[in-house]
Amino acid sequence: MTDTLCGYANRDETIVGFLYDELDAGQRRDFNAHLLTCTVCRDEVAGLRAVRTQLARWEPPALASLQSPVPGTSRPAWWQAVPAWAQVAAALLFLGVSAGIANLDVRYDQNGLNITTGWMKPAPPKLATAQPSEGGTKLVTDQSPAAPWRADLAALERQLRTELHASQASSPAAPAVRAASSSDAETLRRVRVLLDESEKRQQRELALRIAEVVRDVDTQRKADLRNIDHTLGLVRNDLGVEVMKQRQSLNLLYRASQRQ
Amino acid sequence: MTWTDEELVAKSIRGDADSFNELVLRWERPIYALAYRTIGREEDARDVCQETFLRAFRALPGFRGQAKFSSWLYRIALNLCRDWMRRERRTPVVQPPEDVDLLELAAASEPSESIEDLVARKDLSRVVERAMALLPEEQRTAIVLKEYHGLTFQEIADLVGCPLSTVKTRLYQGLTVLRRELAKNPKTKGTIL
Repeated sequence: MTDTLCGYANRDETIVGFLYDELDAGQRRDFNAHLLTCTVCRDEVAGLRAVRTQLARWEPPALASLQSPVPGTSRPAWWQAVPAWAQVAAALLFLGVSAGIANLDVRYDQNGLNITTGWMKPAPPKLATAQPSEGGTKLVTDQSPAAPWRADLAALERQLRTELHASQASSPAAPAVRAASSSDAETLRRVRVLLDESEKRQQRELALRIAEVVRDVDTQRKADLRNIDHTLGLVRNDLGVEVMKQRQSLNLLYRASQRQ
Repeated sequence: MTWTDEELVAKSIRGDADSFNELVLRWERPIYALAYRTIGREEDARDVCQETFLRAFRALPGFRGQAKFSSWLYRIALNLCRDWMRRERRTPVVQPPEDVDLLELAAASEPSESIEDLVARKDLSRVVERAMALLPEEQRTAIVLKEYHGLTFQEIADLVGCPLSTVKTRLYQGLTVLRRELAKNPKTKGTIL
């Protein structure tokens, strides 16, 4: 290596620009001309080029891909995937909340699997009563406004009001009390029918969702088992390779000791 | 059809997960190589690489395309490398050269390459790695970005936030130190003038 004894303007920056081919045409021409006469710069450029050649030999270890997407699929990647345990936890939470709301009762006996929600139990006496009000009847329930059959009840109420108005218009002489009484009985009957239907619908949906969750959990379990099996296989392979290496090393040592 | 980075970024912002997947596949190796050459630890480099894409994914809606996507990724990765070095309070670690495992090398070697050649190649790689670890962080980063990622002087200056002339000076000084170090090493001194 040589010491720097050259006064070329911006020498260091020019040498770097020359090495990486980032000089403009004029600078390059000038520096090429300089190199013809300056041994110091010529040696330095050659030396730094050799360093660049050596730098090319530095290879980082291989990287196993951060992800291995299957072509043509839209499988969520690691940077956005929700872990399987979180999915199962969410499903169980959903089930728990649903069961709590629906007063779920699952039984498995000689009659097979029987899933009952709270809506299938006999309706409490105050579940749906009719109170006289101006212009007809008013339904009073103790259920949450979010109950799924509330819209049905509202529709029924509207229908009954219409019918009541129609009957009053067609027979104005009928006593109002008797009309109200028969209307209340009819309302209760129809409400019960509606509740039964709604309850059956809920039961079907819940059973369907449980079946879906059970299927998903089962699929995940199978996938996990496959992964565990695969990992165990890899460990076994590594172990086998290690044993083979040890054996070969011992053989080498043995042969070497025999020679001595 | 091959999408450009910018097209894939636009699709990712619109919610197309496969597009970001494609970007990860396209850039994970360069980012990993950058991280490895900067901090010198395989596992940590992998963590930095993964964290880089995680941060990029989260920040993607804010990416306005002022810079190239790759430059943006490099910036995130370099910041993470700096954080790592600050946290570890040490210079990059070069994994200590272990005794060469001939059996492993034999298993990894390609048919066209003899074991001796493979050993020599690995040795040279380690020599360069150790010499690079001696450089100050700024010089090493400049050399890595220039030599292994082909960035222009101006791109490096933008990325690390320093003047153009500083980048050139860092490169010159770094290469000069490497020249001296490689000339001292018996395995490389014959190749360095």
